[in-house]
Amino acid sequence: MEDARECLRDGVLNHLNVLEIEALELSRQQQLCLQQQSRVDDLRIMVDKLRAQKDQLKARAKTTMSLQQLKAVVHQRNEEFNDDISEEGCSMTAKSQLSFLMARKTQVKDLLQAHHLIGGYDVTETCRGKGVCISIATAFEGFYLETYNLELDVSRAIQICRHNIPPFIPLEKLAQVNLQTDLMGFLSTLSHHLNGFAGRRQQIRLIQEVLRDSVEVMESNVLFNTIVLMCADPEENGRAVLCTLEYSDLSRYLPTKVTIESEDKALPSTPQWKESQSLLLQTPAHTALKALKMKGQIA
Amino acid sequence: MAENQTPTLQTMERVYEAEIKLLQEEIAMLQNQQENNEREVISHFGEHTQRALTSQPDFQRGTKDTAMNLKMELEKLEEDLARQTKMNGIVLNECEVNTLEKSKTKIVQQHRVSGNCIFLDFQVEFQLTEILEEEATIVRSITDLNIVVDGCEFIDISAFVSGVEETKSLLLFFRALRAFSERCEHRNRTFAHFKEKYPELVRLPEGCRGEVMVIQNPKIPGCTLSFVWNITVTKDGVIIPKIDLLTKLPEQAALALDQRMVAENGPQSFQSLLRILGVEATIEALIAAVCVE
Repeated sequence: MEDARECLRDGVLNHLNVLEIEALELSRQQQLCLQQQSRVDDLRIMVDKLRAQKDQLKARAKTTMSLQQLKAVVHQRNEEFNDDISEEGCSMTAKSQLSFLMARKTQVKDLLQAHHLIGGYDVTETCRGKGVCISIATAFEGFYLETYNLELDVSRAIQICRHNIPPFIPLEKLAQVNLQTDLMGFLSTLSHHLNGFAGRRQQIRLIQEVLRDSVEVMESNVLFNTIVLMCADPEENGRAVLCTLEYSDLSRYLPTKVTIESEDKALPSTPQWKESQSLLLQTPAHTALKALKMKGQIA
Repeated sequence: MAENQTPTLQTMERVYEAEIKLLQEEIAMLQNQQENNEREVISHFGEHTQRALTSQPDFQRGTKDTAMNLKMELEKLEEDLARQTKMNGIVLNECEVNTLEKSKTKIVQQHRVSGNCIFLDFQVEFQLTEILEEEATIVRSITDLNIVVDGCEFIDISAFVSGVEETKSLLLFFRALRAFSERCEHRNRTFAHFKEKYPELVRLPEGCRGEVMVIQNPKIPGCTLSFVWNITVTKDGVIIPKIDLLTKLPEQAALALDQRMVAENGPQSFQSLLRILGVEATIEALIAAVCVE
């Protein structure tokens, strides 16, 4: 009664408000609890699955033989075979066959992995043989970079259905050349383009990382086929040198044209810089510039 | 009520998470053991494994299902391998993997792979380093690379190969190897084709896999045409084929033909013929010319 009166004094609406807040809080807590419960359930399922997997592995280890055991079996078989030729010496015990099958499985898996590591196109079939998904790996000097994927519809004429190749790679143009007639040729050209692009970009990344203090990237474009670099001069009052690298062959990571410019008009034609120009044509930019820095030609 | 349950749920969550981690580690270890054992088996009993794929021993109940499943799985994998081999143009025969270092953030593995690309045999050894960086990205790189290539064409790519070893450009090596082998095969096929078609006229002093083909009409002694077909690889893996024509004429003929500047202009005209007709038709045309004479 007292409460009610109190409430009436404070106003019913106010009271309702308090109740609503409490209700909301309660439902939030319940929600949280439910979420936690479902997470615990998920975890329990996961634990059960992993336990089963572990038991399976242990069972598998029991059904197969170790190398030593297999050696013994094969040796014994061979001896029996020699003793009694009429017996079917070639047949194997079930256990040893299982071991060999599993061993071959591991070997094939390793070979597939090796194909992947050496940059082979990873091919997987989709939609019951109607389509294939092909991955093209890119790398530059030991570093694995992006992998690009193409999904091809091969049911009639070969068509590219989906891909994640950057829009500035001339995919359409390349496809027109030989996608229908020479799929391998097409993939090879595309792979060269993608690797050329990845290689050019990686060189710029390395310059920005390793030669931060001596070389500044003034200009570059999405394809990384026109690059302007500013190299600091080692002398204090020296003038900066601008190197422009142009890559007219998009499938390559080495430039086709190198221009050296400086406020000091005579500098580009000095033997030292002439030599550097040809070095830049034959060596990746970060390596060439590192060599120039070592020689003290740039700061 | 909710407040009472929360702590127990939280402890359960932690207990389960810990168990999952433990189980995952244990499974990884078991798998590793098993696979290493299987790799040993393969390296000792390569041929027996092949027999196991075809033989049908009497299985007891239970193992029969396992074996059937395993066989099906294996068939699928073998299909994948065959397709991968065809697509890559590279046959891998053997591979060996050894883990040199393993921690939570770094794995170093030594791989040895051998195989062939058309008729060039190779053996490649490399160290693969995987480093787990922040934001769960894995940086993979080749940290050591050794390449051995067998075959008489090797001399043309030896400089390229040592450059690739130095820069650890494993993928570049295989891209170039494939393109180079294809070009060499094309040269071999072309030479073999003409040798077969004109056995009296065509000589291959270095064999089918050599770079020289000599044409000589027995009726015109002293007059030879030599095609020198070079295939080289630049540092960055670009394949450059180059065909040159070397002419040798006896003095008399040289004098007679000199008015038409044949000997001097020959090589140049040959290059334009190559551009217009392509290799096969150019050689065919020159053989026809020699026969008519």
